[in-house]
Amino acid sequence: MDFALLHDAFWGLTFDGIALGAIYALISLGYTLVYGVLRLINFAHSEVFMIGTFAALVAASGIMGVKVEDDPRTGVSMILTLIVCLVVAMLASAITAVLVEIVAYRRLRQRGATKLATLISAIGVSISLVELFRIITDSLPREFPRIMEKTFLFSYAGADVRNDKVIVIIAAGLMMFALERFITKTRLGKGIRAVSMDENTSTLMGVNINRVITVTFFAGGLMAGAAAFFYILVYENTSFKVGFFLGISAFTAAVLGGIGNLKGALFGGFALGLMETWTSAVFGTAWKAVISFIILVLVLLIKPTGLFGESIQQARV
Amino acid sequence: MKKNRVLAVVAAVAIATSSFVAFAPSASAACSSKLKIAYQGPLTGPEAALGINELNGVKFALKKFLAANKSANVDPVVYEVDDQGDPAVAGPIAPKVAAEECVVALVGPAYSGASKVSLPVYLSAGLPIITPSATNPTLPTFGKSIFHRAVLTDDYQGPALARLVTSKVKNAKVFLVNDASDYAVGLQKTVDITLAGRVVGKDVTPTGTTDFTATIAKIKKSKATAVIYSGYFSQAAVFVKQLRDSGSKIVFASGDGTLDNQFIKLARKAAEGVLLSAPAIPMETASPKLAAEMVKAGWTPGVYTTESYDAANFFLEAIKAGNTDRASINKYVSTQSSKGLSKVLKFDADGEVSGADVNGFVVKNGKLVLLGAIKA
Repeated sequence: MDFALLHDAFWGLTFDGIALGAIYALISLGYTLVYGVLRLINFAHSEVFMIGTFAALVAASGIMGVKVEDDPRTGVSMILTLIVCLVVAMLASAITAVLVEIVAYRRLRQRGATKLATLISAIGVSISLVELFRIITDSLPREFPRIMEKTFLFSYAGADVRNDKVIVIIAAGLMMFALERFITKTRLGKGIRAVSMDENTSTLMGVNINRVITVTFFAGGLMAGAAAFFYILVYENTSFKVGFFLGISAFTAAVLGGIGNLKGALFGGFALGLMETWTSAVFGTAWKAVISFIILVLVLLIKPTGLFGESIQQARV
Repeated sequence: MKKNRVLAVVAAVAIATSSFVAFAPSASAACSSKLKIAYQGPLTGPEAALGINELNGVKFALKKFLAANKSANVDPVVYEVDDQGDPAVAGPIAPKVAAEECVVALVGPAYSGASKVSLPVYLSAGLPIITPSATNPTLPTFGKSIFHRAVLTDDYQGPALARLVTSKVKNAKVFLVNDASDYAVGLQKTVDITLAGRVVGKDVTPTGTTDFTATIAKIKKSKATAVIYSGYFSQAAVFVKQLRDSGSKIVFASGDGTLDNQFIKLARKAAEGVLLSAPAIPMETASPKLAAEMVKAGWTPGVYTTESYDAANFFLEAIKAGNTDRASINKYVSTQSSKGLSKVLKFDADGEVSGADVNGFVVKNGKLVLLGAIKA
């Protein structure tokens, strides 16, 4: 155990933990939105994220013509490239999420299949997408070109604050804010909230359930796509299995915060990002998952509904 | 209903027995058509990249051989055995390979775990093998007389990697990181023993780790002047990139798991100056001319392609010398020698190659540059 390291490098670790947490939070929003509406864990969501990373890759090399051996871009060209990659990743993930819903869930739902059948269907879609991308990519990881030179903006108490991570934290914050506005202020957002409270009653009130569900998947996909772009901007590589580990972490974050609850997903994401970074420093990187899950279990023992409510025990699974 | 069930059981037992008989290994089976060279390794699944590198080497050797010896009685198609690098997959496949009477020689298995279950089967079938990459030191006890290995074992590589770093960095203070795989843990153990007092810290970043923030914080705090990473290229690339992006300029070194052009492709500028060790030699370094010819033929050489090419050529030389069955080919490779691209293949009583070196490499201007054999 190395508490001295945590003490010495606290602000550096914390800053990096928040950047990682922002990515977790964006992905976990997708889990929590779908759960809120359908009471279903969308296990294919990690692949929605994975497809977003590849879409960003295609956007950078195919649309913007950035080659991996190029020098990083500057000025308007850089900003344009960043925006195009972000938008393409978000759209690709959102469309994938909607397709997954149509292929794997809609028919089962309309036929009144059990939640378990839907769950298996989700796992099946997830495995198919992973294998598809494994075959397409020849099992090899892919590198993302450096669009933006990575520089240190300033140093605070030994923490080097790097530009790409600052962008991730700010942009993720804006995304979350926009989503929150959408859910609370718009007609469609109200529909989503109504369905998550009571599906039957909201149908009687004239809410178009299928439309609400499609919008929910679309919104979750947009967030996963944004997370995918931020991930690939910071870590600059992806592979067919990238969704697996991040998906588990994001799902954990959603449960930690209280699944079905947007604020919970945000808080859970940041909390998990920080916890993983801090525990890696104290106990070693190999222990971060173990410690994080122990903390998760402890939190759920004391507060079974997660930190912000909506119990997974009471949910109609 | 009950009767049907009994019938089904009887049928199942009958099928099982007959297939067992059909697959029973036999050393004396005669081949009535063309002789086949087999390759065994991971050709699908997450480890497939390495297996495909090796298979390409075998294919290339066979193609060149048949172009030079048009009348040779050798099948132009390599007999592919996909074990996914997994002992559980290799177990049921090995007897089928042994039962193919025209398969007279096998390059592989690529992985040590898969080798341990396959070798006893090939031993009883008398099928000679040369593995281009399975480096576990205990394998000769599994394969005995049919076992040959074209590379040095892990017992040699770890110490060599440690010496490579200490020879390049004065008074090196080394931080060790491994990815928790069997290979990486084994390799790091021997590195650790060789470095003794020079190790200033350690961390484990299990396969799948994408964020190395904490590890890098530890490295910086330890004031290490070099880091040795045991693991595979894809994660090594992510790690070294993050290390460089954090502003650290200390020496980064790794073993044969990282020696792959994919590493340079993924890590780009961060790969510059990285030191690597391997009992293998890349095709581009061993013979740029042959490497170019191979690319032209549609195959990309990678790590262990050269060793697989050499292994296949040794078998083909045996066939060319008039040996047409497993026993005589085994005798030929066990007693004769073959001048390969990587080294002269001459096996000792255990099937281990003698007079071979662990090579050191450095990444320079986006290319792997051979530093030469790492001295003892």
